[in-house]
Amino acid sequence: MSLATLPRLRAPSTLVLGGTLLALIVVAAIVGIWVTPYDPTLFAVRFRLQPPSLAHPFGTDEFGRDVLSRILAGAHLSLATGFGAMAISLGVGVPLGLVAAFHRGAVQEVIMRAVDLLIALPPVLLGLLVLAVTPPGLFKTIAAVGLVYVPILVRLTRAVALGLLEEDFVQAARARGEGALPILWHEILPNAWPPIIVECGLRVTFAILLGSALSFLGLGPQPPASEWGLMIAEGRDFLTQAPWVCLAPGLSLCVLLVSVNLVGEGLRERLDPHLQGRGHA
Amino acid sequence: MPDALTLTDAALKIEALSVAYPSRGGWLQALDNVSLAIPPGGVLGLVGESGSGKSTVVLALLGLLGPAAKITAQRLSYGGHDLLREAPTLRGRRIGVVFQDTTAALNPALTIGSQLVEPMRLHLGTEPRAAWQRGTDLLAELGVPRPAQVMKSYAHQLSGGMKQRVGIATALASEPDLLLLDEPTTALDVTIEAQILSLLDELRVRRNLSMLLVSHNLGIVDRLCDRVSVLYAGRLAESGTTRDVLHRPRHPYTKGLLAALPRPDRPHAGRLAPIPGGLPDLTRPDPGCNFRPRCAFAVDGCEKPQALRGELHEVSCHRVDEIADQEWPVEPAPVATGKTARKPLPLLEAEGLSARFGGGGWLARMLGKSTGVLAVDQVSLSINTGEVVGLVGESGCGKSTLGRLMLRLLPARNGTLNFDGGPVEPEASRDFRRRAQVVFQNSGTSLNPRQTVGMILGRAVRWFDMARGPAVATEVDRLLDLVRLPRAYAARYPHQLSGGEKQRIGIARALASRPDFLVCDEAVSALDVSVQAAVLNLLRDLRDELGVAYLFISHDIGVIAHIADRIAVMYQGTIVEEGPVDDVLHPPYHPYTELLLSSVPLIGRDRREPVAPPATGTPAASEGCKFAARCPRKLGPVCDTLAPPLQQAGPGHAIRCHIPLPELAAVPHWLGSPA
Amino acid sequence: MPIAAFVLKRLAGLVGVLLGMSLLIFGIVHLLPGNVAYAILGEFATPAAVAQLELKLGLKDPLPLQYWHWLDGMLHGDFGLSIVMNKPAAALIVEALGRSALLAGFAFLIVAAGGISLGLYAATHRGQTSDRVLTLAQFGLLAIPEFFWAIVCVLVFASWLNLLPATGYAPISEGIGSWAAHLVLPVLVLSFGLVAHVSRLTRSSMIEVLDSRYVLAARARGFAERRVLWRHALPNALLPAITVLAIDAGLLIGGIVVIETVFAYPGLGRLLVFAIERHDLPLLQVGMMVVTAIYALANFVAEVLYAVLNPRIRVGGAAA
Repeated sequence: MSLATLPRLRAPSTLVLGGTLLALIVVAAIVGIWVTPYDPTLFAVRFRLQPPSLAHPFGTDEFGRDVLSRILAGAHLSLATGFGAMAISLGVGVPLGLVAAFHRGAVQEVIMRAVDLLIALPPVLLGLLVLAVTPPGLFKTIAAVGLVYVPILVRLTRAVALGLLEEDFVQAARARGEGALPILWHEILPNAWPPIIVECGLRVTFAILLGSALSFLGLGPQPPASEWGLMIAEGRDFLTQAPWVCLAPGLSLCVLLVSVNLVGEGLRERLDPHLQGRGHA
Repeated sequence: MPDALTLTDAALKIEALSVAYPSRGGWLQALDNVSLAIPPGGVLGLVGESGSGKSTVVLALLGLLGPAAKITAQRLSYGGHDLLREAPTLRGRRIGVVFQDTTAALNPALTIGSQLVEPMRLHLGTEPRAAWQRGTDLLAELGVPRPAQVMKSYAHQLSGGMKQRVGIATALASEPDLLLLDEPTTALDVTIEAQILSLLDELRVRRNLSMLLVSHNLGIVDRLCDRVSVLYAGRLAESGTTRDVLHRPRHPYTKGLLAALPRPDRPHAGRLAPIPGGLPDLTRPDPGCNFRPRCAFAVDGCEKPQALRGELHEVSCHRVDEIADQEWPVEPAPVATGKTARKPLPLLEAEGLSARFGGGGWLARMLGKSTGVLAVDQVSLSINTGEVVGLVGESGCGKSTLGRLMLRLLPARNGTLNFDGGPVEPEASRDFRRRAQVVFQNSGTSLNPRQTVGMILGRAVRWFDMARGPAVATEVDRLLDLVRLPRAYAARYPHQLSGGEKQRIGIARALASRPDFLVCDEAVSALDVSVQAAVLNLLRDLRDELGVAYLFISHDIGVIAHIADRIAVMYQGTIVEEGPVDDVLHPPYHPYTELLLSSVPLIGRDRREPVAPPATGTPAASEGCKFAARCPRKLGPVCDTLAPPLQQAGPGHAIRCHIPLPELAAVPHWLGSPA
Repeated sequence: MPIAAFVLKRLAGLVGVLLGMSLLIFGIVHLLPGNVAYAILGEFATPAAVAQLELKLGLKDPLPLQYWHWLDGMLHGDFGLSIVMNKPAAALIVEALGRSALLAGFAFLIVAAGGISLGLYAATHRGQTSDRVLTLAQFGLLAIPEFFWAIVCVLVFASWLNLLPATGYAPISEGIGSWAAHLVLPVLVLSFGLVAHVSRLTRSSMIEVLDSRYVLAARARGFAERRVLWRHALPNALLPAITVLAIDAGLLIGGIVVIETVFAYPGLGRLLVFAIERHDLPLLQVGMMVVTAIYALANFVAEVLYAVLNPRIRVGGAAA
């Protein structure tokens, strides 16, 4: 069918394009922790708010700091928020989801009602609530964002696992007398991870967005850290005179989000059984 | 009513229709030079296995193949109209269609009434009020009880049989003169199927309808059609009157299909004759006979293009006259190992097993207010060593649940289970698990898609400690040999196997622990007839070789009659009749068995018409006979209020019914005359 | 009546969620390390001032009692006191809520109408150039943070083109033109990403319906394509859109917090951020409660609407 062939042809390119872009950003972020053209925290008031030039490709900010250096030095923060939050929600959500799928009854009730409650909070608010009462910081942002996606992963994992538990190959394992752990390890997990990974791939984008929004509100890493959302917030006061202070980190954030989005989309095209049309002999 | 301009000799004419779709491997030739014709008032059956292209014919006639398909035809006309151009104005108006899966074909958001009224309003310009009245009348005509209420209902509120009646009603609402029926009864139980078939037969006479019946089921084609065309991989193999094609088949493929069919009128008929191999690659159509690779009669000359030859009975085979008297060859039986000579002993005995399903949330469950259904109600059944017990019944009767209860895969509410002399506790022992295994229906989901065949079988071997280390691979080879698959298949993944091959792996996995007892839960139901025969033969051979006992669960009484030694008939959670195959297939039988048997469409045998009112109202209260609401031989209130007694009709033959045995014995044989 | 039972059940669920939420919010504010009074007065407050404030806030009472007072107060319309502004929180919240509702209302209308119609358009033009362009645009819109959109829009429309005011809010009493001009940018920026989200999901649900058997059956009955689309496909495709819109109501609330901050728009989101920055915990507690209640209510409405429009739930079980 023509419709099925279309995403198939595009799939490698989406994944490769996004993956390459993301790999470049990751390399830049790792290098940027130690090596940048200028010291990202060094004040040079003489050179404040200079427009982009050969010496400062992205210009300088109100303290004369090189914007490019600051972007490079802050790149790992956004990446850490996105992937760290995802790791937290995976680490908490998947086991809880599996437990809820295997233990019908009281355990499941407790887990699923807690999930209902957490999901009833609008995403940003859950982050706000956690960060409001304690002093902000990178790890708290990551934890808050991760917490937002825990209920979603619990629900997804449980639904996937419940579906698989009905499958005949799991019934066959039960007919051999296998217990919960071997069934989980050999039959459920190998089949459950594709949809979970797909969901995570798409959620990392939202996690980075949410993390940067919280930073923008001043609830993430604190100055002089150069988290991109924070940089945008700081640059707002000079928007008219020196738009590059805002635009450069903003565009970097967009490039990061697009690359993560491409990777997520590419993974979905590769792994989603709905798009895959279950292979033939 | 046919118009003046339709009075050519054929109402529907298809000449040299070819359809190709673009696919990953290039153009897929779904139909290749297919010609069909239906005279006014005629009924043509289009027969073929999955992938033969029969549904493509229907969509091509309606002009609904979509823009991607490439359609060529010398002629595709209906009543003088060119369907290639005019299909959008004719479909729904002059040509009605009934699809297989009515659950999906009725719009969930609209009432039955509005879906029924719509074609009348649009195509016939009927006034709303009159259309509603006619819709109600139409439902009544099609035997829908309480039609006025059904008009206001939604699809999800109706049973499968009712939905199919409604589906036929929507097709008839605009008074078409050609009805396309695409597997119209495939999703239905056999008793409902029989009712729908009688209904279609009646309609055809009463409304002078022409019909195209597309089906894989040769029995219903024989029941309904004047003429039959057999389609194989997009090409016509054989065409002629029903009598000629189905009773005196001439094409090797048709011969093979008929020889592969297990039939209830020929119980324990020895081995079936499967057709080896599978469908050819349609992206690279063979210029010669495309059945050649699977054909038992293939010789030099088959690689040349074949054309339909003959006048009234057309066959596309150049050897048609040479092989006229030859039957499709039966697969040779393996050399007997003589392990069968054991004296049968009771192996598995279930006593009063019950299971209840669903109903209420966790709160209701905790408060003990469960409103669930009793899926299995106090069933006792025993199976001897090396014996095949067939469990037959319609969907939802609890036969699969009973199978799982007997393996302790589902918790039983009460009752006991004994295996080889000892009780089986609710938490079954490892030894019981090893000795009692299961084969599932759906080959698509019965194998873990992320493991190779070798891993799947090896896991079962290791789990039961049948072998260790390098010996595991040897054991896997032995299992593949056992199910007659090449040893190289150990490296394949499930998606690289055909349906029949997957089912063989499922059987091999169940045999890994060298069990004494297998539950085969609809183990051949999802397979095409030609493949099903091979798997049935295999199961039969394995029983002879290994002496395994089977509980063989199926809705198909033909399959059961073929493979089983004893039959248990199940209805709504209870076994209503149990006994040796020949006893169950002969009177006296339970009225439900009688209904089942007389509902099975058979080829070339007249059987008595089933007599049963469609199920009305809810089943009787738990005390009475569960079949009372549908029973054509109901005695009176006693059937509703008193549990029917178990009557012994012969050695090992028991019937659970209030009607006295002599009366049941006086019932005529379901084939009209005893076979 | 299955529908009545359904509504009652959901209503009970709504009450449960609200109670749980109040416990959660109260718990986070009061159980996390850090003394509320110190948080308000700053690290260098004198013990006497702290003690006085604690007394005033009732912080000496046992926690369950404090919770009960808080809950009981809210049920009777007493939302407590904003300690920073020293005003009843209820008045502040009601005023801010009105302005936020304006923003959210317009944005929601744009999201619902724009998202659904673009999604339907894309689904019915599947694979064509217009569909590909829309898909690409949605892809881009989803990858741009709202606050960055806001800044770019301010830069373009306010600073460079000087068409619209950059920030702030003008009451309608100061003239409808100025009132509207202050709303345009926040509403648009708030809608961008969500329109993309809704249209993407509407597209996929419509495509699923268009590929369904009953749409094929409707075509086979010879109905015109328009009729097939509007009468047979659309009602079924819109049902999932209701659920999507409910999810988006949550995203919209999150967006409001950010957007109001960027545009210095004096709504509920701005008030919450203010409460966080100034450690006005009583105001924060109540504000959070109001916002989650609104979201829970939106979800409740969506569920009931879904049930009413879905015959499977509305009419329930078997008839004939």
